[in-house]
Amino acid sequence: MSSDTHLHIENISKKFNTVDALRDVDLRIERGSFVCLLGPSGCGKTTLLRIIAGFETATKGRLILDGQDISQQPPHKRGFGMVFQSLALFPHMSVARNIGYGLKLRGVKGAAQRDRIEELLEVIQLPHIADRPVSALSGGQRQRVAIARALAIQPPLFLLDEPLSALDAKLRDNMQIELRQLQQKFGVTTVLVTHDQHEAMMLADELVVLKDGAVRQSAAPSQVYNQPADSFVADFLGAANLIDVGAIKGGTVDLFGTAVSTPAPHMDGDLMLAAVRAEHLVLAPAAAAGTAAPIGAVSFMRDLGPATEFVVTIQGKDLRVRRSNADAQGLDVGSQVALTFDPAQVSLFKAA
Amino acid sequence: MSIQLTRSKALAFSLPALIAILPFLGACFFIFRFSISGEPSRIEGFSIQPYLDLMTPYFGRSVWLTLRLAFIATLLAMVMAVPLAFLLTNLRSRFARRSLTIVILLPLILNLLVQAYGWILLLGPSGVLNSTLRSLGIIERPIFLLFNETGVLLGLVQTSLPLAVFPIVSSVRGISREHLEAASSLGASHWRTFFDVTVPLLRPGLFGAASIVFAFNASAFAIPLLLGGRRVQMMGIAIRDMISPLFNWSGAAAAGMILIFVTLIVLLFSAWLARMTSEKVEH
Amino acid sequence: MRVDLLPSEGGGTYRFVIILLAICGILISSLPVIVVTIMSFSAADNTGFPPEALSLRWYGEVIAMFTTEDANSAQSVVDSTLTSLLVAIVVMVISTGVCIPLAYALARGDTRIRGGMELLFTLPLVFPLVILGIAFLLIAESLRLDIGIWRIVIPHVALVLPFVLRNCLSAMSGISIEVEEAAVSLGASPLRAIWDVVIPMMKAGILAGLIFALIISFNEFTITFFMYTVDVSTLPIWMYSRTVSSLDPSTLALSVFIIVADVVLIVLVDKLIAGRASLF
Repeated sequence: MSSDTHLHIENISKKFNTVDALRDVDLRIERGSFVCLLGPSGCGKTTLLRIIAGFETATKGRLILDGQDISQQPPHKRGFGMVFQSLALFPHMSVARNIGYGLKLRGVKGAAQRDRIEELLEVIQLPHIADRPVSALSGGQRQRVAIARALAIQPPLFLLDEPLSALDAKLRDNMQIELRQLQQKFGVTTVLVTHDQHEAMMLADELVVLKDGAVRQSAAPSQVYNQPADSFVADFLGAANLIDVGAIKGGTVDLFGTAVSTPAPHMDGDLMLAAVRAEHLVLAPAAAAGTAAPIGAVSFMRDLGPATEFVVTIQGKDLRVRRSNADAQGLDVGSQVALTFDPAQVSLFKAA
Repeated sequence: MSIQLTRSKALAFSLPALIAILPFLGACFFIFRFSISGEPSRIEGFSIQPYLDLMTPYFGRSVWLTLRLAFIATLLAMVMAVPLAFLLTNLRSRFARRSLTIVILLPLILNLLVQAYGWILLLGPSGVLNSTLRSLGIIERPIFLLFNETGVLLGLVQTSLPLAVFPIVSSVRGISREHLEAASSLGASHWRTFFDVTVPLLRPGLFGAASIVFAFNASAFAIPLLLGGRRVQMMGIAIRDMISPLFNWSGAAAAGMILIFVTLIVLLFSAWLARMTSEKVEH
Repeated sequence: MRVDLLPSEGGGTYRFVIILLAICGILISSLPVIVVTIMSFSAADNTGFPPEALSLRWYGEVIAMFTTEDANSAQSVVDSTLTSLLVAIVVMVISTGVCIPLAYALARGDTRIRGGMELLFTLPLVFPLVILGIAFLLIAESLRLDIGIWRIVIPHVALVLPFVLRNCLSAMSGISIEVEEAAVSLGASPLRAIWDVVIPMMKAGILAGLIFALIISFNEFTITFFMYTVDVSTLPIWMYSRTVSSLDPSTLALSVFIIVADVVLIVLVDKLIAGRASLF
């Protein structure tokens, strides 16, 4: 696997007064990849993006773009295209002048500028709105104009700060697909900040999960999902059940009567947490299962359309379970169910 | 290097304005220096005599009168400015908005002498109001609405209305209709919504506007002169009297300093009050 | 039932009171003007109101004032008017020119300093005009320089600063820093971003400031009264010297003229500057 590091975020730390916003963040971003910075509010993801853009300066560490240290470069010299959370379209300029602003600053004028603007309008599928004032655009249209404006300058890096958070659900879903396609078409190295894990899963080649200013995991989305590095990551993505399983012995713990082991080195006696995803738990009516399987009762059941969501109370714990509608046949609130799972799909973490 | 304002940039941006206000500050300093001058008609030596000379009952009455009238005029101006601001922001037609804006600005435009003349024609002893009331048999002798405190109040309110309306308009723009609808949905009548929602939301803007209007009214000179007869001795008049015919410039300067000082106290107090009432969470 | 600050219908006593008070405000502002305008059409000299007969004779006299030279008056009305205009324009340009960067610095800068600076620039409103007039006069005399029109421009600028600054500040409050950052991210230097983005977005506030500066300077009397000279005098001073002797309706006609001139100037400034951000 070739590794062409475009941007190296080298041991970046950021302190605001006494608050550590970022702690020793080290990431290598591959050329042409789509990186999502994901995490809860306050995790430092926006601060990191703004440091990359140049609107904040790191307290420690460097930014290295294609081998050059750009840490001291002012933001208007970096040439990174950026889409802001509020979009920040210039209200006194038409669509064309907004998109053309960066071009104008680079001396691209007249016919050359017009052609480029038209090209971009075609790409974002809004060919006829060049002269409209931005106030006359719908939310989705403004979105796309903001993207076109940032890409017009052919930036080496494309930065987005929660750009889709203001859109309604349906529009957001569509825009996610379009954004991914746009990025693939232009091949531009992209860093996007979001708190929405579904969005991150949709868009990212590389998913970086942050909490309290530190990187918890940085890997392909499927790996982050299926092999979470710690209990926070496991919990943050998807619906995972975190269960206390007591002390580990000989690399194995007991989860509802089944032995679960982990290759990771743990000292005997370490208290552990087991994480198992809602869709990895299997339910069957209690009567049908064997005596070995643990038995619980359904306390909540809801048909969500594509799947059925359950809460099953078993041995005093409430577990989230997600099954297909077919599997849910015959079950109802109050039903006694037997719970089974594949131990390979369980992740084990040391309890914090 | 974020694009946050650096110290040097902030200074560079502020410098032209600071230079522009320098002559004014010079004049202020001049006044102050004059007020502690040893001689009444020129600057020489140091003395607090000018201040001591002012400690007369006459001057005390003038100070009290000034504060009282300025306060009442401010109150009246605010009571009318708020509805005017509501009206201005609610008008649909551009023409109506333009016209109302110009009407509100009129007192600043029209020459004070002429305005006083207009009031005299309307409310003077032989003016429209008195003649009409006389001919309707409602009164026997004319009501004296001018050349007394009422006349002065009228003039003060009139000239400070434009000062009050426009800042309030900016504040009003910040109130979204949803705030009002939320109150209404919870059962608040129009009046309730006004007192419980609108006024608290407007409060900072109201205090700001009231402060400026108060300061403006306290320093009034032409209005008490033209509409007060010889009876309404606001501080502006007292100061003028000290200058001519008395040529007691240091006394005038001292009186001016006292006026400024008192006004500043009121301004600071109202700013403090505004902060206090906005921070307090109502339980 | 519509719920609004001023409900368009069904507002009960609330609506009634608000409209009543607004009408009072309108009356207070406009009654003298209406009366004076009507009187200016009066055919007779200075009798009571309402006038018995109407005529345009006073307007005729005003026009004559502008077109003929009056050997008696030291300053012709034309000169005074031109000086007033010139002063007003210079004051408008200077005050807006200094307040725009100041408003930016205050809006984006340290909030602790902002309070103090706002207070500083509100001071001209607080000071009694009479005192200021004398102080400025004494300073001007002690300088022994002939600074011509600046005698009047400098005090006027100080007077209008509070208004212009307040309007620029409220314009700044609606401009988020993200718009500047967007321009910078596209390659504009921070100063360029201010020029291309912030100032155009401030247009409405700047315009309001300009109009206030215009009106206040053009019609200012008290301080100008201390500062004028034989060579440099304004229209309000000219009017005052005429009315000291008598208040004949030609002064009223001139006042109406001035009102119309002010309105024309306001609309002109609005058209020139505002574009889509028109105050009207």
